[in-house]
Parts: sequence; structure tokens; C-alpha cells
Amino acid sequence: MGLTDLMSMAKPNLESREKILRKLRGRELINCFQCIKCTSGCTALKLLELKPHEIEKLVNFGFVDELAASDIIWTCVTCLKCVQRCPQKASPYHVIVALRNLAVEREANVPEAFMKAVSQILETGLAEAYQKVTTRKMEACDRESLKLPKIPAPKEGFQAVFLKALEER
Amino acid sequence: MRVKVAVFWGCCILASQYAYEMSVREVLPKLGVELVDLREALCCGDPVRSVNDFAANYLSARVLALANLTGLPDLLVPCNRCHFTISEAKRAVERDKKVREKIVGMLKEEGLEYNPNIKVWHVIDLLHDCVGLKSVGKAVVKPLNGLKLASHVGCQIIRYSDLGRVDDAENPRKMDELIRATGAESVDYNEKLDCCGSHLMLSHPDTALSLAGGKVKAVQGLCVDGLVVSCPDCGLMFDSKQKEAGTTVGAKLNLPVLYLTQLLGLALNIEQEKLGLQLNQSPVDQLLSKVSA
Repeated sequence: MGLTDLMSMAKPNLESREKILRKLRGRELINCFQCIKCTSGCTALKLLELKPHEIEKLVNFGFVDELAASDIIWTCVTCLKCVQRCPQKASPYHVIVALRNLAVEREANVPEAFMKAVSQILETGLAEAYQKVTTRKMEACDRESLKLPKIPAPKEGFQAVFLKALEER
Repeated sequence: MRVKVAVFWGCCILASQYAYEMSVREVLPKLGVELVDLREALCCGDPVRSVNDFAANYLSARVLALANLTGLPDLLVPCNRCHFTISEAKRAVERDKKVREKIVGMLKEEGLEYNPNIKVWHVIDLLHDCVGLKSVGKAVVKPLNGLKLASHVGCQIIRYSDLGRVDDAENPRKMDELIRATGAESVDYNEKLDCCGSHLMLSHPDTALSLAGGKVKAVQGLCVDGLVVSCPDCGLMFDSKQKEAGTTVGAKLNLPVLYLTQLLGLALNIEQEKLGLQLNQSPVDQLLSKVSA
């Protein structure tokens, strides 16, 4: 659903807005003066119509619940140009991360791959499984055949602590 | 000059971008940098950042605690994404007392100790600032004169500057200078700061491939001999997935893509097989024949 449709019935929720500001550990977001430097350089603008300045304004207005439920927050490619270029230190990237975390807490619209990565880390320590690759001549290789060292998975005990970390808000 | 550093590979390099790992392991010792692996393989927390910021910081802090076990003050992180995630975590732990206390306590449960003083390096600044261009240039035994290359430094080691990054955010030069130290030419081009799109592989894979394809197409138009990368995600997008990326932008892509450390290895006259050059999926043979000619 597009942001305009999401907003048609929306009411601001200042409590949710406060939640995002707490997650950001700073209130620079409220200094955003809509110069649109973030959007004009946004990598995801061209193909996915992400407009970071809109996200900033909507959070400031208190439309946080709508954003957390929207799929637009998952279009950010994390190139960090918006953080770099924002003259007000109102970092849209960090706002988007905070909104994503809120979406996970609310079990909204989260792309599956992120949760898969978390369970893979719990299991093996790594977010990805070791892959067999091929050379350009189609010979199969893996770490062993390439004489790369085996690096052990995290010791027992890691799993329990990581699970505890995942419960922190 | 000789230095000894701990090395943290992250996931992407250990699980699939073997050519980067092989070439780093070959080239750095020849430039005076001894590498010490960490005790365990671990994720830096990058994909977790979108799920739970605290848990991402915990994973990064755990990486620094593992580095602390080596007793070395320097940690090499050859992946851009890991380098950024760990840098962000370091800052959060430093600035937020509550986060710091919780994380330090959790690491203690595992018998690990957080060390805030470990310096995090990327291949680019380690070679440029620590080893030095002069030493790199001196080590070159087979100058790559005549090669015309484009560099792709990636996003997360140059942005955002407030965090303290490897090079200038809008005009990064260090990678180009390292390429020039091999005798090759490094060209400037409009799309230099364009992103490879890899993060979107998690949510919008077609768009990720279009971003990668668009950049490769543009670089191909420069009539260069190849594109040089120094991040496993960028390597994955521009090299491993180049063919797929081509279909999303309606172009036949055949641009040689190689890692900076593979290029340096060629200039140091290291065997191609040891640099993992058989693993690149893009047509690097064109470039290699020019080097050996």
C-alpha cells in the first residue's frame, strides 16, 4: 500500500513517536526542515520511490504506526548518503532502522529474509550458510578444496546470550 | 615495516566470496601484514540491525571481544558492511551507558571482555595509511602498466563521516591511489559513488540486481579493462551476479570485475590460482591476458 493510502484514515500517535525518538537516542529528527537533500540523493528513490524526507515529516507528525506497518521502510538500500548529507543530523537511515525495529516488535510486514538471517545466526553464528562455488570452467570448489582454514562456530553459551539480546527493546 | 593484526571476515567472505579471502591471505603478508584469525566465525550483526538494534550491537561487541582475545590492538575487517556495523556498535557502546553495561555484562557471561580500544581497519586504509603507498609501490614486481580500471569503493566504509570512516565521503581517493601504485590507471566516472544494491537482496532482489546491472552497464561504457571492488557484497553483485543483473537492465554485460587484493596480487606476481582468480564469474580472462602479455 502506498503512503497516501495509509494516511487517508490515519491519526497521529505521539506515544509511538516518542518511542522512535527514544530508540534514536537523540531528538535531532525534530530539526528536519525538509530541505530534501536526503531524497534527492536517495539510491532507492529511483526504483522504489523511497522519499526519506517524507518519512522524516511523517514521524514528526506522529504517523509512526502507519509507517511501521508500511512496506516502504523496507526499500532503504542503506547506502547512507542521506546520513552524510543531512545538514540537521536528522539521519533518515537511523529513523528507518528504528521504524523497522518497531515493525518487528509488532510483527508487521517484515521481509522473511531478515528473520531467516537471525535464526541462521542462532544456529551457526553466521547469517549465511557455507556455499559450494564453481570456477569459470565449472569445477566445484569449497573452503576445503581451496585450502581455506576451518573457522569454528561460536562456543556453547552464545545461543542463550544472543536470545537474551534479541529480547531487549 | 611489519605489523600483526587480528582479522574478522564476517559472513559473506567466509561463506561464498572465497576469492577475496584467498587474495587477502596471500597479499597482506607479502606487504608486511601478518593476519591472526579470531577464535570463532560470527556475524557482525548487520542483518540483525533491522530486526533489533541492541542485538546487532551485542554481536559487534562480541566480535571486538573475540579480537581482544588475540591481544592485538588492531582488527582488520575487509567487509564494508561489517566495518560499518562494528563502527556503529562501538559508538553506541561508548555513548550509551545503559547499552554499555548490559553488553559488557552479557559478554562476561560467556567469559569474554569488551575492549573499546581496538582499532578497526579496512583493507584500503590499512594499506594506504599504515603500510603506505610507497611500500606498496616498492613491493610491485610486475607493474600493471597499460591497464585502465574503474574503482568502486562501496558505500559503508566512506559514509557517514561523523562516524570516522576510511576515506572522504564525496571524493574518495585512497583506492584509486592504491590502484595507481600497481602501475595501472584508475579513471574517474560519474557513477563512481553509485551503490551496488546488495542490501536489497533481502527484500527486493530484482531492484538490487537492477542497481548492480545499471552500474556495470555504465562502467562498461567507459571502455575500461575492469572494475575493482573491495567489499564482498559489491563483489557478489558485480561479479557473481553480473549475468543475472544484465537481464534486469536489458544489457549483455561482460565486464571483468576483481578485488583490489587480487589486482595487487597480480602486481606482486602471485600465482593467479592462489588469488582465487579462477573463481571470478565475470570474464576476467580478458584482463589477465593483458597482464601476462
